[in-house]
Formats: sequence, C-alpha cells, structure tokens
Amino acid sequence: MEQLNTEPTKTTANAQKPFRMSVLVCAGTGCVSNNSFKVMEALQDEIKKHNLEKEIQIVGTGCNGFCAEGPLLVVQPDEIFYAQLKVKDIPLLVEEHFLKGRPVEKFMYTPPEGEVAIPKMSDIDFFAHQRLIALRNRGLIDPEKIDEYIGRDGYTAIAKALTEMSPAEIVQEIVDSGLRGRGGAGFPSGVKWQLCAKQDSDTKYIVCNADEGDPGAFMDRSIIESDPHSVIEGMLIGAFGMGASEGFIYIRNEYPLALERLHVAIEQAEKYGLLGENILGTNFSFKMNVVRGAGAFVCGEETALIASIEGKLGEPRPRPPYPVESGLWGKPTNINNVETWANVPIIIDRGAKWFASIGTETSKGTKVFSLVGKINNTGLLEVPMGITLRDIIYKIGGGIPNGKKFKAIQSGGPSGGCIPEDQLDLPVDYESLSEAGSMMGSGGMVVMDEDTCMVDVARYFLTFTRDESCGKCAPCREGTWQMHEILTKITEGNGTLNDLAVLEALAEVVKDTSLCGLGQTAPNPVITTLRYFRDEYLAHIEKKECQAHVCRELNTYIIHGDVCKTDGKGCGVCRRECPDKAITGEKGKAHVIDQQLCGKCGVCYDVCNFNAITIE
Amino acid sequence: MISLKINGKPIQVESGTTILQAAKQLGFEIPTLCYHPQLEPYAACRVCTVEVKNEKGNKLMTSCNSIVEDGMEVQTDSDAVAQARKINLQLLMAQAPAAEIVSEMAANYGVGDTAFLSENAEEKCILCGLCVRACEQVAGTSAIGFANRGKDRVVTTPFDVQNEACITCGSCAFVCPTGAITMDDPFGREVIHDEMTLGPDKAITVPFMQAVPNAPAIDTEACIHFKTDACGLCAEVCEPEAIDYSQKDEIEEVEVGTILLATGFKTFDASRIAKYGYGKLPNVITSLEFEKLSNASGPTGGDILMQDGSVPKSVGIIHCVGSRDDNYNKYCSKVCCMYSLKIAHLMAEKTGAEVYNFYIDMRTPGKGYEEFYERLLEEGMHLIRGRAADVSDWAMNEDEEGKLVIRAEDTLVGAVRRIPVDMVVLAVGLEPQPDAEEIRRKFNISCSSDGWFLERHPKLAPVSTFTDGVFLAGSCQGPKDIPETVAQSGAAVAEALALIDRGYVELEPNTAFIYEEECSGCKTCIPLCPFSAISFVEDKNVSEINEALCKGCGTCVAACPSGAAQQHLFTDEQIFEEIKGVLSYV
Repeated sequence: MEQLNTEPTKTTANAQKPFRMSVLVCAGTGCVSNNSFKVMEALQDEIKKHNLEKEIQIVGTGCNGFCAEGPLLVVQPDEIFYAQLKVKDIPLLVEEHFLKGRPVEKFMYTPPEGEVAIPKMSDIDFFAHQRLIALRNRGLIDPEKIDEYIGRDGYTAIAKALTEMSPAEIVQEIVDSGLRGRGGAGFPSGVKWQLCAKQDSDTKYIVCNADEGDPGAFMDRSIIESDPHSVIEGMLIGAFGMGASEGFIYIRNEYPLALERLHVAIEQAEKYGLLGENILGTNFSFKMNVVRGAGAFVCGEETALIASIEGKLGEPRPRPPYPVESGLWGKPTNINNVETWANVPIIIDRGAKWFASIGTETSKGTKVFSLVGKINNTGLLEVPMGITLRDIIYKIGGGIPNGKKFKAIQSGGPSGGCIPEDQLDLPVDYESLSEAGSMMGSGGMVVMDEDTCMVDVARYFLTFTRDESCGKCAPCREGTWQMHEILTKITEGNGTLNDLAVLEALAEVVKDTSLCGLGQTAPNPVITTLRYFRDEYLAHIEKKECQAHVCRELNTYIIHGDVCKTDGKGCGVCRRECPDKAITGEKGKAHVIDQQLCGKCGVCYDVCNFNAITIE
Repeated sequence: MISLKINGKPIQVESGTTILQAAKQLGFEIPTLCYHPQLEPYAACRVCTVEVKNEKGNKLMTSCNSIVEDGMEVQTDSDAVAQARKINLQLLMAQAPAAEIVSEMAANYGVGDTAFLSENAEEKCILCGLCVRACEQVAGTSAIGFANRGKDRVVTTPFDVQNEACITCGSCAFVCPTGAITMDDPFGREVIHDEMTLGPDKAITVPFMQAVPNAPAIDTEACIHFKTDACGLCAEVCEPEAIDYSQKDEIEEVEVGTILLATGFKTFDASRIAKYGYGKLPNVITSLEFEKLSNASGPTGGDILMQDGSVPKSVGIIHCVGSRDDNYNKYCSKVCCMYSLKIAHLMAEKTGAEVYNFYIDMRTPGKGYEEFYERLLEEGMHLIRGRAADVSDWAMNEDEEGKLVIRAEDTLVGAVRRIPVDMVVLAVGLEPQPDAEEIRRKFNISCSSDGWFLERHPKLAPVSTFTDGVFLAGSCQGPKDIPETVAQSGAAVAEALALIDRGYVELEPNTAFIYEEECSGCKTCIPLCPFSAISFVEDKNVSEINEALCKGCGTCVAACPSGAAQQHLFTDEQIFEEIKGVLSYV
C-alpha cells in the first residue's frame, strides 16, 4: 500500500485549493477535431498573460459527451458550461469570467427552441436525464493522470477485492449485480465469469474487447479516452476473480488518442505497482498487454478477435468450444467489452445490490449510447436501463432539428434494426429491443427523420456488412452481397415484387445459417425495414417513387417555369451547372429540363436559389 | 454415451461425436462441401445445416462441427433445413457457376437455376477452404491461404507470388471438391493414367506389379511426412498399425566368399529422342508403360486405353528406340524385336486396332521366335521396314486430323510414308544401369565400351570376372531376354557354388605379405595394388594383404619404402642367396 500513500496532487475537479477555479476543457476526439487543443493552448497563453496561472487550473479531460456543441469547456466549481468556443473567443472569456468573475452569456449553451442561455451544466436537458456509472469520471478528471483517478476513489475497488474478498465472492458479486455484456449480445457477465473461474487450467487470459467498429458508435473510445483506469481496474478485479494472470486489450488502431491514453495509463499503473508483480503487496500478479487491431470489423467477434491476437487471419470459428473453454492459445479466456469492464469497479465498490437497484427486471444498471443522426444533441450519453426511446430522443437528444418529423431510430449498429415512431415508448433493455427486431448492440443510436429513405438505409448498412464480412461462410459472404445487389436494384427503380420475395427469403436464411454474429445480424436492417416500412419498398417497386427523394434514379426534377421566370428571372445557374447539359433556356426566361438527357444528379435542385425546381 | 434422436430414430453415440457422424451411423446422408473427415471442420459452406430441437427451441446448426448433446432431436431434412440448403446452394451456384458439384447438389433440392446474380461464369472455387486446411493441417506448410475480405476473398499464395513453402504435394488439388485447383505437369503434359506419368507419384506404392515382396513402401522423397513432419494420415487410417515412420534404411555388412552381380539394366529414356514426342504428345508411351496398361491388375484393369479413355483404333510401334543408333547406343538391344511383336499381337487381340511396326531389321533368332513372326505376318500385321523419322500431331489432311502422324521411309517400297495412328508405342532399348561404373570400381572388374560388365573371357569364362569369386548374372553383362538370362544366371550360380562346395581357395604360392613390425603405416601400397588386395588395419596402424586376392604381382613390394612388404618365394634374403649362389661359380 506504500505507493498509494503518496498524496494525490490537488488537481481534481473537486479540489478547491490552491486553485480558485478549474477549467475543464474537453479533449475527447470529437472536440479535438473541433480544435479544442488550440482553444486550450489559447487559454493557457491568455491565463499566463493575466498572471492567473496560480489561480486558474486548466485540465484536458476525456469526452464530455455533448459532442454536438464542441469544443466544450466547464468551469468549476460553479459548473458553468461553455459551448462551441473558438480561439478568438478566449481573450474575452478570460477577461470577463476568470478575471472579473462575470460568466459570459454569449458563449453559453442555448437550446434550439429556447432563447435563454443555460449557464449550469446540470440544468441542461442533455445532462439532466443521464445517470453516470460507467462514465462516472468523464469530463471530471485528466485521463492522463492516475492521481486524479485515485482522487475519485479509483483503485479502491481492487484494494477491497484483494484484501477483503475471495475470488469466488467477487464472481458472485458480479452474478448478483445482474451485469450483462455491454458489447452486443448481452450475455450475463457473472455467468461467463463463473464458467471461466471453474476452468481447471494453470493459465487463463482475460481480454478487453475495444474493437469498436459500428458506424456512428464511439462509446468504448470515449470511455478509454476519458477514464482508462476504470477499464484497467475492472480487468484487474476480473483477473483476480477468475484466476487469470495476463490480460489483453484489443483496441482498434483507428483510435490513436485512446491508444495513447491507454499506454500512459498502463505505464502509470505499473509505476504505482497496480500492474505487474505482487499488486498492492499481495500474491496477485497481473500483466497487461495492448494489441492493436488492423481494421477488420469482424475482429470484434470474439473468436475472430482471439485469432487476431494470436497473429492468425482474423476470421471467426465455430463455437463451441467457447473461448471460456478454449480461447487464446487454447487456454480459458474471458472476453468482455470496455463498458462492461468499466462497470466492474463501481459494482465491487458499492455492492451488487446498489447496481441491481438500477434498471429493469432483466437488464440492470445503465447503458452508454452514442446518439447521432438527425438529432439536435449529438453526443454520448449514459442512461439507466428501462428509459424509453422517446425520452432519449426528445428529452436528452433535444428532438429532431429543423422541425422535421421523426421516422425511425436505428440501434445496435449495422446489425441492429430500425424502430419506428409507434414503438418509441419501448423501454430500452435487451429483451424489448430484440423483440422489436433490433438489438442493444454496443450502443450506437442513429436517428432518422422524414428525409431518410428506409430502403436506402437498409442498403447503406448492407454496404457496410458486405464490405466487412470476412468471407468465410457462404451465407454471409454471398448473402450480404446479393442482398445489397437486390436493394441497389430496388433503389434504382428496377426492383420487382419477385426481388422482394427473394430478398425476404434470403434475409431469413442468412440470419439463421451464418457462422458468427456478423452474418446472423447483418439482415436485421433489411428485416426490420421490411417489417415496419414495407410501404416504402412497395413504393419504390410499384410506383417507382422514393418518398424521401433520396434514391436519385427515381427522382424527376422539374423547373416551375413561372417561379423561374418571375422570381429567378431565368438566372441560368442551373443551366451552367448541369453536367448533362439537359437544361435549356435563355436569361430572363423560364428554363426547361430535358428529361431524356437528365442524369438525375440533383445539382440543379441544390443550386437553385429560388425554389423553382422541385422533385416529383 | 450420449442418447439422441435423429429424424425420430434413437441412437447412442460416444460423447464428442458430431451430428454428421452420428447421422452417418444411422444411414442418413447429409450433403457437405467444406467437410473432409481428415480435416478439422470449418463450417463455412453451411450446406450441412440441420435443425436441432433442444431445451432452447428449434435452431439451425451445422452438423459437421456441432457435437451431440443428450436429448437432442435432430431433423436432417425438415422444411427449414431444405429452405436453408436451397438458398445457400443457390448463393454458391451464383458465386461459382462452373462448380458442377454445387449444381448437382442443388438439383437434389429441385433447384435448377440460381435466383441470384452471377458475376463470373467461369468461377469454380467456392472458398470452402479445404485446400487451405489441407495445406496447413496435412502438408504442414501453409503455402496457400485466404486473402482479402468478403466478396473479394480468394485462395492464393502470400502476396500472390509463387513461394518456396509449397512442396508440390498436390494435397490442395486432391481435396478440392470443384476442380478449381489443378496440377500442371512441368513439361506441359496432360495427365493420362495417373500412376503412369506425371505429376508427383504417390508416396506409398508397391514398386511394380508382382513385386517381391508384394508390400507397399513409403517413398521418403515423396512423402509429406518426411518433408514437413506433418500429415501422417496413412498411420491414422491403417488399422493394423503397420506404418512406422521411424524405420530407416540400414547398411548391413555380410561376410561372404563369393559374389553374384545381377544388377540388371535400365530402359532407354525415350524423352531423349525429342522427335518421337515422348513426354510432349499424349498417347505416346513406352513399351514398359504398355506392359503396365496391359497388366490385368494395372491401373486400367488390363484395358488398353488412351488419355481420353477411349480404345485406340490404330497403333504404331517404333522399333530400335535408342538402339542401333549412332546418336545413342550402337548395339542391338536384342529383345525389342520380339517384345514388339508380342505387343503388336496383344494390341491387335485386345483392341482390334490396326498395328504398324516400324523396324530396321527383324531379328528373330531363337527357338520358336521366327515362327511367331511368321504367325504375325499371317495375322495381317503391318510391317514397315525403315526407321521412323518422327511423330507429330501436325495434320496435313483430314485423315490425320486429331491423330499422331508417324513419318517413315519404307525402304521396301522406296517412299516416305505418313501413317496416322491413335497411339504410338516406343520399343525402348536396354542400357547399363547409371551406377554401373561405381559398381565396377567397387568390385574391381571391367566394363565394355558400352558400359556393360565385362566377363573374364567371352568363350572360356563367360560368367567370371577378373576378380576371383565375383560372377555376372543376367543383363548387367549385356542385353538378354528372359530365357537367356535364366540360363546364364544358372551358370553363374553353379560357378559360385563350386567354390563354396570346395570350401577352400587355392592360392598362388608367390603372394605378398607385410612384416608388421617394419610397416610404418604410410599406405603407399594400398592404391597401387591392382587387385584391391591391401587394406589398412586402423588399430595396429599397419597395412594388411588379403592373400586370397593377391596375385603376386609384386608392385607393393617394389613400392614399399620401409621394406615391410615382402613376397613369398621372392624375399630379399632369397634373392640375395640366389645371387650369391649364381656368383659362386664365377
């Protein structure tokens, strides 16, 4: 315990002294790509200029969650929330708020419908309805400083586990908590741990699956970027509970920031004696390895992931044997997702009962979602299980932008399904989402409005799964390709009713006979859109019509002569821009599109400033 | 034991059995594409899908890799199974339209054509991975593997280049269910009857028909196990467990009094005469290959067949291939005329083909031989006197289209003839064994200018050699037919037995010997001895003369620098005394 006695440097958000104010700048990938590092630099320069270094502390934190409004900045202790900051805003901000103590209203967040800026973070709807467990330290600590994690009760859970609990008790605690795998399938983690603990083997491995590949999903990345130690601590507890002495974090190489923070965290934990030999002076030793994925989506599937770590071709193999019986190098191996691991320390810390009190009958705790698409508050959120989709979309997400109508929400990544308006009161838990034809998945949520064509959406996700299928089993390799071909045919207006029948039959067989989860779930977008939005398919096939005007081949662009002539005075922009030279007309007179020549690119529609062109 | 039901029939099987194996025991056939009993199940084609009912409900599972569980109820041909197979087979049909096995399998489910889009009508590979697994698990080399993802997936070598890891074992081609992998003959020949030619030989063979002992042996040069330490399939399937890889060739030393050399001959390599097209043109075979074909226990069961499996309608037999030819061997191989006549006779009898013999001279001395020749003439054999110039597949008219054309000068007619035939048999001559020179040195005997072992005297000692106790039997001494070989070998055996029966060898009185105490071990004498009679005794560090071999020539005596080598009847003392005696009269 000696190492832990070092006094944590007083830099955490809660610490008041010696700093007068703590400025928490979001340094998650979303804000970083919006220049938050430059904002932070400007802030540092400005503070130096005003000689405030000793009074004001600047902390780069992990993802705050409200990515839509980045770069973000939270000023503690008053919890003042600034959004969409630019480098040029900084001098004013420093002078007004930090020097004169007058928070600057014009940099604060204003809700889309509201007119009044909301100064405090906890008053903002996006944050107010969340419950942070896995993300308990997000935006509060500097992820590159272990002391800050320890300052927030970090590594107390592993201390408790090692000194006060037996391995069996730890596993039982996880069983009692009702924690289920957050990676997609939702298998009870405790049961998995029990199976692994039972295996009689001198070597066991535990693996953290951070190969997050769903388009639009960034939960795992944010957790590692904002709180890497929670994952490490979770794995330590798991390793002790299951009797493993070596662990692997399999993380995709496309996450450079997360990778860097992970490396920093592991180095610091090793320095503090929290990783390595005789952890906290006990007999427990644990070695942590980081393996970088090479970009294959299928490597998120556990058997493919194992093959990839072993240096083999990343393709799944049939189960059984399950990894827990024969995993890495034939040894019992427990694989859990990042979020699952991040939940473990707090369960041990606060007890299974506390955790089980959150959520629904079958799904306990909270779930992190990344909310993207046609939604006002794009970002990362953590909500208790059982919350309705409607609450997520309208309360936290702030509804659909530009007053458009909600059409569907797609959950669970490319393997999930699309849920329509009338199902929005579904409670978010594993079973309900499955029944609706979708899945919890890793937590990606894509919101779609009336401008989205559901056939095109199905085709989009099929493009992804088709490209990411490893190609091992026939139904996935060939089936996804063929489904994509049929969907393309339909979106191009060449589909027949027979195509639809073939598509439906094919989707069911691909779902039922594919080898791994990728193929088994790849048809979900097709199956659910067929279930809830069949009329759109029929419109594409029978009427050759795309209601959302997304499928260009089905669009007919028409210039309304009167509008063109009177409002636009025959400006001729469309004529100049048309790549097919399909538009004719003279300046000052109405223009006409020759439908024979029209390539349906839609450029004319986009460039017309007078709304003289409509799509039929 | 695990109890389960398959299609309603109860069965008990050992735990660890797969559903596929259990179904097989009950006689239910489940179609498979990516499965091979000797390879680990891969579960990629999904054709072996069955419906399984257990406590969780009905589920489609692949039978090749799913292990049986107690109380399982399996349906191998339910509606759901049939539907899954139909769709998956159609997917494979669309992907690999040229893979016949897939269409045949689909036809069993009433699928005539695929409902799906097909990109490459020539494609045969269904990516079942049998080749990749065979390469890894059987050949132990991983010379081929999968590259790319999804629809772009292909079987290839690393970086698409030929690599040294491939041991050309042919396992991949052997397991390929669709014929997408083939093996090319390095000479561009097409494979005819697989044992006869071409491509790698099987590593386990009986050396030739009627071999004694008639037991298969592993050719360690060709065996995958000896190359990569993998495979071992033969040991797995051999029920009497007769395969033992640890056996090694051993050299045994046997002390004997006499030696019979019966090392035989080798046949002339017909590919040396390029103009006859052996090894390049299909259906040009040698006389020995004809014998294999004609053998009732041979690869075709004794039928004379061409590469395409049809029976030849006309056959040319070219005599003197490699014999009586200034470019190759000048001598007459003696046996070819007669065996060619025999082949001609058999060919006509078995196939009814028109047979053309191309000969220089017809040599039929011997009992009954000329009569056989007469009989063939009566049978209507075509005999063309003249050396065949060449064999080609270059047709000059319609009759020659698709045939082999033999061009030869008919010296009896005085014209050059072109004769189109279906098959050509080359009557290859006899040659000394390639290692005859090595054997000759070892036994200190001589060879004739052609390379055949030389007898001591052509008339007075036809089976003896210049080394006492070494005799010649059979065609190592020169071309012979079977009766002649048997007779000559009998003579050689009799000579050897005469020596053995007597029990002793009469020596020359004037052999040389070595004074051991004088010998310095310089070994000067050893290479000088023309009879290889001197050997070196390592532990005593002296030379030793085998008096049975010494002919008393005295070379060693003259050469010995220390005077340790002496000769009976001619020791220095004797010579000096003789000189003294002679001089005493002076």
